[in-house]
Amino acid sequence: MLPVLQLGPFAVQTYPLALVLAGWLALAVGARAAKWLGLDGDHIYNAGLYGLLAGVIAGRLAHVLAFWPAYRSQPLEIFGFNTTAFLLWPAIFGAVAVAGWYIYQRKLPLVALLDAFAPGLLAGFAVAAIGALLTGRNPGAPANLPWSVTLWGIDRHPVQAYEAIAFAAVAAYVLRLIRLGSRGGGPALIALLGYGFTLWFVEAFRSTDVTARVLGSLRLGQVLGLVLVIAALLGLRYLATRVKAVDPQEL
Amino acid sequence: MSRLRWDILILVVLLAGIGWIWVNRVPTGEAVAAAGSLPAAPAIGHPAPEIVLANTEGQSFSLADLRGTPVVLNFWATWCPPCRAELPEFQAASERLAGQVAIIGVNQGETPADVQAFASQLDLTFEIPLDVEMEASRRYQVRSLPTTFFIDRSGVIRQMQVGPLTEATLSQQLRSVYP
Repeated sequence: MLPVLQLGPFAVQTYPLALVLAGWLALAVGARAAKWLGLDGDHIYNAGLYGLLAGVIAGRLAHVLAFWPAYRSQPLEIFGFNTTAFLLWPAIFGAVAVAGWYIYQRKLPLVALLDAFAPGLLAGFAVAAIGALLTGRNPGAPANLPWSVTLWGIDRHPVQAYEAIAFAAVAAYVLRLIRLGSRGGGPALIALLGYGFTLWFVEAFRSTDVTARVLGSLRLGQVLGLVLVIAALLGLRYLATRVKAVDPQEL
Repeated sequence: MSRLRWDILILVVLLAGIGWIWVNRVPTGEAVAAAGSLPAAPAIGHPAPEIVLANTEGQSFSLADLRGTPVVLNFWATWCPPCRAELPEFQAASERLAGQVAIIGVNQGETPADVQAFASQLDLTFEIPLDVEMEASRRYQVRSLPTTFFIDRSGVIRQMQVGPLTEATLSQQLRSVYP
């Protein structure tokens, strides 16, 4: 396990570093995909960076509101560099809202941008999963396999590695589809299908210590994954039958 | 592919998906039982490794004696600026939560005289075990200071923080073990 990387006199926390790298890779891959789709790759960077900034501000503001008595006595901490003083869901909401606003203001083609973002997001998730593996976050269930990783004396599924491999493979496949001319939402839906399938399948190998549950005993990740898979298939069905419906050969 | 084939595909995937979810469901109570059967380790969900050290007054401190009380276990040193910045927050929390949460500040690798002088300077009154030989630090794999573990009443680590805590983030992390 490598929770901290020692770089000379500096100790850098591995997981936050992995998240930074994941974000950079997501934007870089998204920008490349955007070019192949005939879009200006700078829009990916701009939307991503504006969204990141908005997410940081929203996450911090939410934390300040949630813990206002503490911030009231230490108002300078509102602007502090504490990397844990954020709330996740407000940050995500803020990031998506501002990125969406940027796309709306510039009147950018939403479907094409989603096609471009999709493989980038998956590549970023793959890097984040590697960071989780290095730091022992969200570990796998106990398993005695040749490829098990030993964590605190227990051999476990390297479930984070399963995720990283799956996300990277789907990202590569989606990029290949884009290079071959796939457009119109198909790449984004394939990415969603791959992401959902990974969640649905891989979560079964996660340790029950870190597994969120719904309806008492069902793994939340698996349920969410299946919902995303069905949603993606419905979307692909719509695209496939819509195209078929307007096929001029049938007129 | 025709609409009918798509519908059949989606139905098959849905049924297979539900089946895989059902097969891998977590029996109720298994997660609670699992935490008790894990080996002690400085990791979330694991029982906290035992610490037995002398404090600044030469008295013995044992983490196991605090079973039944939530514990905030902080590793620090006088030469560490972020540690010095957060210690007043731990002092305030120990006063505010006296009798409800145990604030423990394990000093890493320094002499009793140096630590006592420093504690007097900052008016620190919470328990300060002295990890002179760095044994506890090795057991908790403390690679960077400050590092803080939040341990629940049953002795299981629920949160970890590498880096300094502010009043707000301390309140946030405390929620994992208290009330």
